[in-house]
Amino acid sequence: MVAKWIGLVTGSLEQKKQYKQYNVRMDALPEPYGTAAKALQRYFMYNGGVVDGQTLLKMMSDFVELWERAAVDGTPVRVIVGADPVDFADTFTAAYAGKQWIDKERERLTRAINELADNEPQP
Amino acid sequence: MGRQMTEMLKGTLEGIVLAILSARPAYGYEITTQLREQGFADIAEGTVYAILVRIERNGLVDVEKVPSEKGPPRKVYSLNGQGHEYLDEFFRTWSFLNERLEQLHQGGR
Repeated sequence: MVAKWIGLVTGSLEQKKQYKQYNVRMDALPEPYGTAAKALQRYFMYNGGVVDGQTLLKMMSDFVELWERAAVDGTPVRVIVGADPVDFADTFTAAYAGKQWIDKERERLTRAINELADNEPQP
Repeated sequence: MGRQMTEMLKGTLEGIVLAILSARPAYGYEITTQLREQGFADIAEGTVYAILVRIERNGLVDVEKVPSEKGPPRKVYSLNGQGHEYLDEFFRTWSFLNERLEQLHQGGR
């Protein structure tokens, strides 16, 4: 999964540049924001499910911006992620669920049931 | 915030955020503060941020980047035409649910 992500974000030269910039910004985050952001990033890699490079880059840039803002405002980490960090992470990534690997399977399931339902005799 | 509250809020927070933005444009931190003042004491700023990202991606708000004294520019969100339509639908749905629950609460029919 991790390797796949890196392959995607190195898709084009422009994307590669954006990915590098993202890493620089992540590394520049002061503590404790840097550690919090990286812990979430690790979770995204396992559970993000985004496969489209452009969407992924947009997500990463919004994500690092959220932490940069928090660092400037001095917002406590708990106030950002809330009581349940997993729920926060899932809600955050769900907003970018434009193209997920599961989409193909969702379409397949919908098509299979539609075909059956369409061919059923009318009551 | 109780578990039940968290679960129920999940389905309605998007509408609540849109309703706040229908009054006037705001940035994320302002919206979170307003919600906290209104009794949602434990709401996470990140949760509101995730909602703002989603409504932006769904084309319900317009976004303007306003420079801030320190740090990255703040994104100010304002409800657009599509957002207003969505909000109207949200309130119609909410009224229906509210009515049904009220009836059930009064003794069930």
